[in-house]
Amino acid sequence: MVSNGSGAPPAFPRNSGEPEKEISRKGFWKTLGVFFALFGPGIITSNVDNDAGGITTYSLAGSEFGLSLLWTLIPITLALIVIQEMCARMGVVSGKGLSDLIRERFGARATFYLMIALFLTNLGNAISNFAGVAASMEIFGVSKYVSVPLSAFFVWWLVVKGSYKSVEKAFLVACLFYISYIVSGVMVKPDWADITSAFLTPTIEFTPQYLTLAVGVVGTTIAPWMQFYLQSSVVDKGLKPEDYQYARMDVVFGSIIVNIVAFFIILLCAVTIHQSGVQIETAKDAALALAPLAGKYCTWLFAFGLLNASLFAASILPLSTAYTICEAFGWESSVNRKFAEAPQFYGLYSIMIILGAAVILFPDLPLIPIMFYSQVINGVLLPVILIFMLILVNDRKIMGKFSNGWALNLISFSTIAVLIILSGSMVFSVFL
Amino acid sequence: MAVIPNSQVFLFLSQILGKGILDVGGQVRGKVLDVVVAVADLYPPVTAILYRPRDAKTPARLPWNKITDIAGRVVSSSLSSPDAPSGNLGEGELLLKESLLDKQIVDTHGAKILRVNDLHLLKVNHNLFLIHVDVGFRGLMRRVGLEKASDKFFQWFFDYHLADHFIPWRFVQPLSSPALLRLKIAQNRLSLLHPADLADIIEELDIHKRTEVFQSLDVETAAEALEETDPKIQVRLIENLNPAKASDIIEEMSPSEAADLLGDLPKEKAEGILKEMEKEIAEDVKELLEHPEEKAGGLMTTAFATLPPQATAREALEFLRHEAENLDLVYYLYVVDSEEHILGVISLRDLLLASPQTALGDMMDPRVVAVKLEDEKEEIADRFAKYGLKAIPVLDEENHVKGVIPFKSLLEVVAPQLGK
Repeated sequence: MVSNGSGAPPAFPRNSGEPEKEISRKGFWKTLGVFFALFGPGIITSNVDNDAGGITTYSLAGSEFGLSLLWTLIPITLALIVIQEMCARMGVVSGKGLSDLIRERFGARATFYLMIALFLTNLGNAISNFAGVAASMEIFGVSKYVSVPLSAFFVWWLVVKGSYKSVEKAFLVACLFYISYIVSGVMVKPDWADITSAFLTPTIEFTPQYLTLAVGVVGTTIAPWMQFYLQSSVVDKGLKPEDYQYARMDVVFGSIIVNIVAFFIILLCAVTIHQSGVQIETAKDAALALAPLAGKYCTWLFAFGLLNASLFAASILPLSTAYTICEAFGWESSVNRKFAEAPQFYGLYSIMIILGAAVILFPDLPLIPIMFYSQVINGVLLPVILIFMLILVNDRKIMGKFSNGWALNLISFSTIAVLIILSGSMVFSVFL
Repeated sequence: MAVIPNSQVFLFLSQILGKGILDVGGQVRGKVLDVVVAVADLYPPVTAILYRPRDAKTPARLPWNKITDIAGRVVSSSLSSPDAPSGNLGEGELLLKESLLDKQIVDTHGAKILRVNDLHLLKVNHNLFLIHVDVGFRGLMRRVGLEKASDKFFQWFFDYHLADHFIPWRFVQPLSSPALLRLKIAQNRLSLLHPADLADIIEELDIHKRTEVFQSLDVETAAEALEETDPKIQVRLIENLNPAKASDIIEEMSPSEAADLLGDLPKEKAEGILKEMEKEIAEDVKELLEHPEEKAGGLMTTAFATLPPQATAREALEFLRHEAENLDLVYYLYVVDSEEHILGVISLRDLLLASPQTALGDMMDPRVVAVKLEDEKEEIADRFAKYGLKAIPVLDEENHVKGVIPFKSLLEVVAPQLGK
């Protein structure tokens, strides 16, 4: 061994395990390498955001108003980045999930009612995603009585029987399938000059339908559950404050990707369905309307995208809900535990899937009112959570030197104010 | 502790917080903000109450002996001169709301991380003690203000009596601040946990608390817990320590675990730690580091016993008694010649049964089942299964004993593949 004392480095030729880290190498490739080791939370969260509800809203926006809502995606992307960045930062700095921070800062009562509201609105989202599975599989000629129970079981099995690593990999693969929307968007050969000018010129129509849909697009992109999911995933990744820049890149990247997908869905429906004047009400209508206008492959791609998005969101939403609630109440919560070790966690997770799937299978249940009230709760919940987040991110006891500066506060205050006005008007319009 | 049965004897923190403070004349003078206790091993007594006086912004401290009644309402005999500015807690004092309520604690009896829903206090004579931490659903409902409603609901709907879920204070380790972890009550209560349970708890905590908890442990407990921890988390924990402290902990680990851990660390950090370690242990660990983790050489430990064939059974037993503390394996004694070539093996049972004068050379079993440095774990597992051994020696090309693989080390490598 090293007996001469000259400080010759002892060799560590361990050929198993990870490849040796080269500390001296710096620059672009290193950054890229670290990014790929740490990325995931932001990209997964953003993609789940384009769930069945999102795709429906974008399809409606495109087919009813053509390209005129396209520009809203620019401010939405910016708002998404601002809000998600706060969550990622809180996760990295505090090492705690959002519901953990809310519980410790705002006490048991506020947390309890917040969690009930979150459960209800997420249940609504879960239902809409099983509806998405049913709709897309019907396009492929599969009855919903087959597709919904099977997908519910698949989603349940994936988490209960799988390990977290396999789950996360499955999720990352699901993200790739969103490309199918981009492919179908390019397949219809749109007029890019028109699109560019529509994208960059904000136009507003002051009609109730236009405004409702504009609010809908915002509401479906920025949802309460995302903040909880993103922050918990960042915490789970074990990112350190030094790695914060990578978490931020992840968030920015994810927010842009999600809006690129939204962009192509709106574009696709605008240049086909809107121009031909067909009326649609659901994402399934949109997919079917595409066949005569753009070919049956386009329909299939659209339906496949919807299936993927619905399944993806149907697995993440119940998971995220169970995780968030258990964290707030201090119950055992981990996909790496067995059922008996974490009964509340798996109980909540299973209830959401079973209820979500059952509502679709019983034709007598009032699906539309259920979805409607879930959207209302969503609209009430979002402002509360955003305000809590602002208070937390400005709390120096939690955030230290990473709390918001005045510039960041100005941006996040105005973003949140706009979002609160929008979701407030959404809730208000319901009661008109 | 003599408990006089009385409906007002037990109190919850949630029943005290936010309550008005009355003077003897019955005038409301302020609102209760928090409760101060002096940390004690068994039942921490309440020493003061923090309250916000009317028309004042800063909280004030009201010593316990000035409070004449706390059940039902809080009455104080003198409010005129708050004794001390509130922010300064005395030595060994603890704010119940600030550092316990809604925070995470470790239940050292059940080996779990839980969240505190409420705190259970007991009033005996003129003193109020903290006795239980409430982690149950009923406590949560009490905080929400729905305790009665949920009791009735469960009774009516499920015919189920919703019971309290209390943890006695002596099993509670608060986690909310590093100061609380350092607070040596009698000793850090986490060291009462089984190392494997402690490792599970460390893995479950967030990255900051994980480090705080780990650094609060004494060297021996830390080493035992570290051996049971996930390798990735091991690396994080050690990276946050200075080399001197890290080497103290790693010296306490078994050489093979230590080598696995050092092999996973960045090179510079590992070298720094090795320099700080005792020379003898460092040499052992460095030797183990040269072998790949999944092969015999990487699984083996160097802390085992060898003796020459001339030694007697009595001498062997003496030797074991003396060295057992430093050995990873005491069940087998390997008989070697002066150049460390293997000659035979003796089990502890043989040694106990043999007459004290017998030379080891005469009683040893020369049919030694061994593996080579480069053997893969599957081959090693086969040997263990076939011969029913508790440990297998590892030989190099010239039959020198280089180390021994205890069954436990193999099990850790093989267990994840079982049942899949």
